[in-house]
Amino acid sequence: MSSDLDRQIEQLKRCEPLKESEVKALCLKAMEILVEESNVQRVDAPVTICGDIHGQFYDMKELFKVGGDCPKTNYLFLGDFVDRGFYSVETFLLLLALKVRYPDRITLIRGNHESRQITQVYGFYDECLRKYGSVNVWRYCTDIFDYLSLSALIENKIFSVHGGLSPAISTLDQIRTIDRKQEVPHDGAMCDLLWSDPEDIVEGWGLSPRGAGFLFGGTVVTSFNHSNNIDYICRAHQLVMEGYKWMFNSQIVTVWSAPNYCYRCGNVAAILELDGNLNQKFRVFDAAPQESRGTPAKKPAPDYFL
Amino acid sequence: MMDLEVDENDLKAAGAELFADDGRRGIRINGWLIETRRHSILNCSTIQEWEQKLNTSHLPEMVFGENTLILRHLSSGTKIHFNAFDALCGWKQEALPPVEVPAAAKWKFRSKPSQQIILDYDYTFTTPYCGSDNIEIDKDMNEGEISKETSNILWEDCKDQIDVAALASKEPILFYDEVVLYEDELADNGVSLLTVKVRVMPSSWFLLLRFWLRVDGVLIRLRETRMHCVFGGNTNPIILRESCWRESTFQALSAQEHPFDSGAYGDPSFISQKLPIIMHTTKKFVISS
Repeated sequence: MSSDLDRQIEQLKRCEPLKESEVKALCLKAMEILVEESNVQRVDAPVTICGDIHGQFYDMKELFKVGGDCPKTNYLFLGDFVDRGFYSVETFLLLLALKVRYPDRITLIRGNHESRQITQVYGFYDECLRKYGSVNVWRYCTDIFDYLSLSALIENKIFSVHGGLSPAISTLDQIRTIDRKQEVPHDGAMCDLLWSDPEDIVEGWGLSPRGAGFLFGGTVVTSFNHSNNIDYICRAHQLVMEGYKWMFNSQIVTVWSAPNYCYRCGNVAAILELDGNLNQKFRVFDAAPQESRGTPAKKPAPDYFL
Repeated sequence: MMDLEVDENDLKAAGAELFADDGRRGIRINGWLIETRRHSILNCSTIQEWEQKLNTSHLPEMVFGENTLILRHLSSGTKIHFNAFDALCGWKQEALPPVEVPAAAKWKFRSKPSQQIILDYDYTFTTPYCGSDNIEIDKDMNEGEISKETSNILWEDCKDQIDVAALASKEPILFYDEVVLYEDELADNGVSLLTVKVRVMPSSWFLLLRFWLRVDGVLIRLRETRMHCVFGGNTNPIILRESCWRESTFQALSAQEHPFDSGAYGDPSFISQKLPIIMHTTKKFVISS
């Protein structure tokens, strides 16, 4: 059983997708593990926290080179494994296979892209269809998304979530009561945790000009951290050229782990290593070099655009 | 890097020369110097500088602040160029009201935190930008001093049209590139993208500046500016500039039995014909030597 899984992990590390039947079996096993996890999953230090990956498989391999292999290093991924990049299937399946193989050494929480609706627009759905000729793998994976935890709490001191806070949530216990096993809703606490952003120009709460989506300012973070007795919040969700960014007097940090995002932004990526005493060390890394990406850069045909 | 295979013989026959160095590439042809520059997105400190200069607290998520396309006509000092900063000045000036996403309807009924600020800038970064230009002339001052005098191009309205048939002919492309000026994912509610691409053939250059906006479930907006310049031989070259703005709501598109889901609207070239034209102008500029 575990030798089968080890073989699959080795195969995925070469960026070769699994067979449809293997994906189905893997997802069933993952479901058994994830269903037991809390909405605020407890994580022990030392741990290495990673932000958005977005299907950039070869850059995630760089991440493991910098941070060390799982299970030797204990990992927490803050969601957005899929969409945008070319290898969402291989990226998510590798993380999921590692989760099944080493459930206590890797924690995966849900990002706003781990959703049926979003993946149909931003790439994962099309990629599954292209690589498997059917949408079954997309169905298995999106069903698993519903089981992913919503947040993590490291040593009771660092709260980790994909997006941010919600006006409907002031205590961690309120998060624990959410029924998470569903598609990401368009509003409400669960939506906010995966979608909201910190914002410099508001003090308390702000509403995005889109008419949906909360923004939260420094006072909101101060009171949340205080009432839950946490040191700071660690989140992902927003591209940062420098790989990570502190806000509001080090009460919240954004970690971004997709270097050269969308293969053109030229940004660096970061992961946050916490040792057993929660000392921080940001490890900044670049995108994988072109020659390690398997496929050579294609020369474009002359584009007779009009 | 977009490296196109170009036949040396085609270059030689056109009297053209390619060049490339650190982030910069281009072509010299018929008295023109055409180049693109490509760099990373702005870092945090440059973003702050730009926010101050533009008097805003919001910029697109990805601003390729040093990316540019420059076309210089050397003997006349005419320069046409494209950059994110000028385009964002246009956005700031036009200052359209924000577009509500479909989920906004539900949010109106949500209990709101007291002390809530509603941000109201145009998060789509829609811009009327159709390029930057200037003419730099050396003026002989007294005692042989030379001073630079700069003016803008005076574009005149015209009835001419860009010769699409000529552009459709498969003349060899000697130089091609596309640069992104800015891009925003609208927090996963669509896309806002400003790019410019250029192709240079033995007989002319042609460029397309495109602002592409899709607010999922709400709106599609396409603002395009095309410029074409035929190398004139002995006559003064003429630059034709055609701007065309198209726009439609998802509702209007689906009423015409076009698909409603955003996945169907990935490629602006493909859907451009389905969108009604709301503005169209053609202007020209005759370069005097």
